[in-house]
Amino acid sequence: MLFKKRRTGQSASPNRMMLRRTLFLMIVCGIVAFIALGARLFKLQIVDHEMYETAAVEQQLRQTTVTAKRGTIYDRNMNILAISASVSNIYISPAEIVMYGEDPAAIASGLAEILGLDYADVYEKTTHTNSWYVTIARKVEDDVADQVRQFKETGYLDEEGEQHSYNGVKIEEASKRYYPYSSLASHVIGFAGSDDHGLAGLEYYYDDVLSGTDGRIVRATTNLGTDMLFTDFEDYYDAVDGQSIVTTIDETVQRYLETRLAEAAEDYMLRDGAAGIVMDVETGAILGMASVGTFDLNNYMEIDPDTMAKIDEQSTGLTEEERDALIEESRSEMWRNKALTETYEPGSVFKIITLAAGLESGAITMDSTFYCGGSIEVLGRTDPLNCSNLGGHGDQTLTEAAMHSCNVAFVNIGLKIGAERFYDYIRAFGLFERTGVDLTGEAGSIWWDEDTFYDRSNLSQLAAASFGQTFTITPLQLITAVSAVANGGYLMKPYLVKEVLNADGTVASQTEPTVVRQVVSEDTSRKCCQILEQVVGNRNGTGVNAYVAGYRVCGKTGTSEDVTWEVAHGTKKYITSFLGFAPADDPKVAVLVLLKDPDPACGYGVAGGTMAAPTVGAILADVLPYLGVEPEYGEGEEAIVDQRVPKMVGKTVSEAKAAAEAAGFSVRSVVGDGDAVTAQLPAANAKVAAGSEVVLYCGAEPDSELVEVPNLRGVRYADARVVAGWDNLYVRGEGTMMESDNILIVSQSIDPGTMVEPGTIITVRMNDATKVGVF
Amino acid sequence: MAKKKENTVSYENARLADYTEDVTGERGPVDLPFALLSLLLLAVGVVMVLSASFARAYYDPTGSTGGNATYYFVRQALFALCGVGVMFACSRFPMGFYRQISGIVMMVSVALLALVLVPGIGEKVNNARRWINLKFTTFQPSEIAKIGVIMYFATLICRFKDKMRDPKYGIVPFAVILGGICALLYLEPHMSAIIIILVIGMVMLFLGGLPLYWFIGGGTAAAALLGIGYAVFPYVRNRFAAWLNPFADASDTGYQIVQSLYAIGSGGLLGKGLGGSMQKYLYLPEEHNDFIFSVYCEEMGYIGAILLLALFALLIIRGYWLSMHVRDRYSALVGAGITTHLAMQVILNVAVCTNSIPCTGISLPLFSYGGTALLLQMAELGIILSLSRDIPEKR
Repeated sequence: MLFKKRRTGQSASPNRMMLRRTLFLMIVCGIVAFIALGARLFKLQIVDHEMYETAAVEQQLRQTTVTAKRGTIYDRNMNILAISASVSNIYISPAEIVMYGEDPAAIASGLAEILGLDYADVYEKTTHTNSWYVTIARKVEDDVADQVRQFKETGYLDEEGEQHSYNGVKIEEASKRYYPYSSLASHVIGFAGSDDHGLAGLEYYYDDVLSGTDGRIVRATTNLGTDMLFTDFEDYYDAVDGQSIVTTIDETVQRYLETRLAEAAEDYMLRDGAAGIVMDVETGAILGMASVGTFDLNNYMEIDPDTMAKIDEQSTGLTEEERDALIEESRSEMWRNKALTETYEPGSVFKIITLAAGLESGAITMDSTFYCGGSIEVLGRTDPLNCSNLGGHGDQTLTEAAMHSCNVAFVNIGLKIGAERFYDYIRAFGLFERTGVDLTGEAGSIWWDEDTFYDRSNLSQLAAASFGQTFTITPLQLITAVSAVANGGYLMKPYLVKEVLNADGTVASQTEPTVVRQVVSEDTSRKCCQILEQVVGNRNGTGVNAYVAGYRVCGKTGTSEDVTWEVAHGTKKYITSFLGFAPADDPKVAVLVLLKDPDPACGYGVAGGTMAAPTVGAILADVLPYLGVEPEYGEGEEAIVDQRVPKMVGKTVSEAKAAAEAAGFSVRSVVGDGDAVTAQLPAANAKVAAGSEVVLYCGAEPDSELVEVPNLRGVRYADARVVAGWDNLYVRGEGTMMESDNILIVSQSIDPGTMVEPGTIITVRMNDATKVGVF
Repeated sequence: MAKKKENTVSYENARLADYTEDVTGERGPVDLPFALLSLLLLAVGVVMVLSASFARAYYDPTGSTGGNATYYFVRQALFALCGVGVMFACSRFPMGFYRQISGIVMMVSVALLALVLVPGIGEKVNNARRWINLKFTTFQPSEIAKIGVIMYFATLICRFKDKMRDPKYGIVPFAVILGGICALLYLEPHMSAIIIILVIGMVMLFLGGLPLYWFIGGGTAAAALLGIGYAVFPYVRNRFAAWLNPFADASDTGYQIVQSLYAIGSGGLLGKGLGGSMQKYLYLPEEHNDFIFSVYCEEMGYIGAILLLALFALLIIRGYWLSMHVRDRYSALVGAGITTHLAMQVILNVAVCTNSIPCTGISLPLFSYGGTALLLQMAELGIILSLSRDIPEKR
């Protein structure tokens, strides 16, 4: 019954309007809205999928870089020129400092103390609480990094006395470039920037080889930076360490070259630096290449104090920007590889090329003779071309013309060759194009265009080019071309890297010496060497100051004006140069030295023969024995070569006398009456001038009274030996060790008037000072 | 008039036993498609709670789960089991029972909405006092108020019948009730609940036969209010700005929505597979709650998302279909009201997740984590199942 009652209690059935409205709702809420949402999802998930996925992945993945070790740069004897060592970058994660509730002040003061930083600066960095990575210190050495690591591990004690390490302090592996020889070969090696990529020199040219490929670890992380659960999303890309390069640079040769250039820069007061190249004549390998001024690769931004003082002086009254510009300018100046990136007028050194071209083309022969009246009329020139010797060299053989560096003779040779043929040889010697050496920044040569040069109504270009003027080339082009003249006629492609090594030390690739072409015949080459040997080896040669006793040195002097400078500034600026190679019968090594803008106030005549030639001679005297070229002394040469003093102590007087005489010495006096020698002057194994008189002590105490060093400047070597001997002092020689009335001492290692012990050896430098004014 | 009196009398005299008798008595079976769709969605929802929540439960950045990865899942699963019981229990009670208790439900709702404002009873979370803590669980009175509005409005509409065209009956009592509830919700404050309750109330009046011009007027008024709100409250303006270009302030105001878009967008066509979401690793906030749909989209892809929306659409269409086929007007009103409520929650939630509307906190029925809300949703579905049993054709 109740059931029925309730039934009657039911409300009326829904009317049509209500059904219509329900249907309307059904369509709107059950169909239309869902279609709209489906469309919206289509846009998000299909159309814009990649955009959102990229953005999502970017925030979900954390990437850790595994730095590839940069390859090592070796010299040709595997001495390390540049090497990367592992260091650490210290950074903090302010976000984690906040997250783990660590004390930013404690972290800041700890790090500031260990790293020697300002507390306020470090603390400021901890306030970037949105960041996960704020660098505190870069490239920190291992021992300091260890201190930071210890600080991090030690951490702090929380309120319950529990120990926690600092999660917000992070240490990351990095690498730092070290250059063990600091400034040695700085322009060749170059340097790598803080991002470990090469910026200059070989570091730049071989950057791809050296840098290798950085590895990466990619991890999926939560918003807290921790690894995701159940998501083995971790990709590891191995780092591939860079390859190492073995250069052709010889650390010892490079050092000799740089030392001699530095000496020259000081002696001759060079105002525009110097450049030098030592090349293996047979292969084109560059054993040494240097520029003055140089810089320390480990602090490649640092300008030396003298230059800085000069900048400070100049910059008084200048704005900060102007001063920065000056600093920038002097930096690029000191980074410039002058032997590669600058061109110059080679001057008389170029006569080697003219000579070779003349002989090879048949324009001249060894029997050709030349008359020099002091000047020569050239078609197209209003005034005659002067020779260095305005009085004229008179009748000369070809060899004499070279010895005199006679412009008139060489103009004649050039004219005989003819403009077209001359340019053919220039082209063949590779002087129109860059050598292609494996170093960036090589400058290109500048020559007359063919129409001008070939002009038959104006031969002045050809005439000037014959003795090395009115065109510019790089020092590297010149030494490469002359090496071809020296080595039998083969133009080699110069190179600096002989091997590329894999990270495990195996050889990846080797550079074979490349013959570009044969330019002149072996016969011509031999004749040129014969002639050029006389330039140095003959006491009347202009290059006599490059003479090295025991070696047959070939060479040619050069003195040229810096034309661009003169045009720009109106003042004269000279480049004195010398190119020497040896030994004459089988040339091994060539040396080119450019001394730029010497100050005449230095006391030496401004000329290649007086400045550059002794420098090259000194370099060859160092390098040739080092390279294992045995000296061969000619007749009479032996007498002026310094000899090693034998050990006579312990011998009887007669034995000692015999030993001294065998070594080219004589005994001046025997002091004391003992049977055996108890002391000797000079000390055993010292090298002193042959013919020096030794003093033997037999039981008697050697004199200990100091003696005064005499002034030896301006005297001949043999006389110096005698003068010094009066005070029981000895001399040894450097420079032009040749018998000639013109070859005199120009400097001595110990200043006159200095008080020294008896037996002291004074090193004196010989030079033919008459080679001034000759080009 | 007499009929009305008879009705009243009959309900007043009825004892609970009358209905319990009816529970065991002869009624038709529940609508199988509706029941199965509900259970299927519930099952998927519970699985999604596990997938979406375990990262937050494991990492426990707020220190509430103790690092137990299944913390949220176990609780949700228990409530889901209870919910199934509640749903079938509700399907046993005849619709007359619901009509009779509708007034009580309404009063209880209002009382609870007032109580929650009392400090000490109502729990304040994020500057809003919306929760009542019952020690073993917490619940939002606004959830009960939604059912209360549906049930009691249906009762009133049935009582007023044709007088609904007269504003004195058709507007005033409803406006008073809605106004009161909205005022209480405003004090919490709880904007999304206000929106949902207003929409539900409107829909009930719409079904109840209120002339359409009221809705046109109401719509205009709502738009005007929105315009005023936009002009007056910077908070509203910020919401709109974040909606129009969430990437402009992706680390602050736009953060939730940007992370949600990353999740949905990175799902692509096929998704990353169940459990494969990466955005749930603490990038996406509320990932097991208001933004569970975003995690679902990331894991199941566009195809999965369309399938899920289709299931919801089918459930909603079926709900309306049942409401249209029941003979009893009260049942039809309650059925359509509950279905609309369900539809509003689903549509608005998905719309928020996809940044189709400005961001506001609306949970996804049967999916979002939350025990009492789930129980109430199951009860609502149970009521629809109950009315489905009265459809004569189904006999």
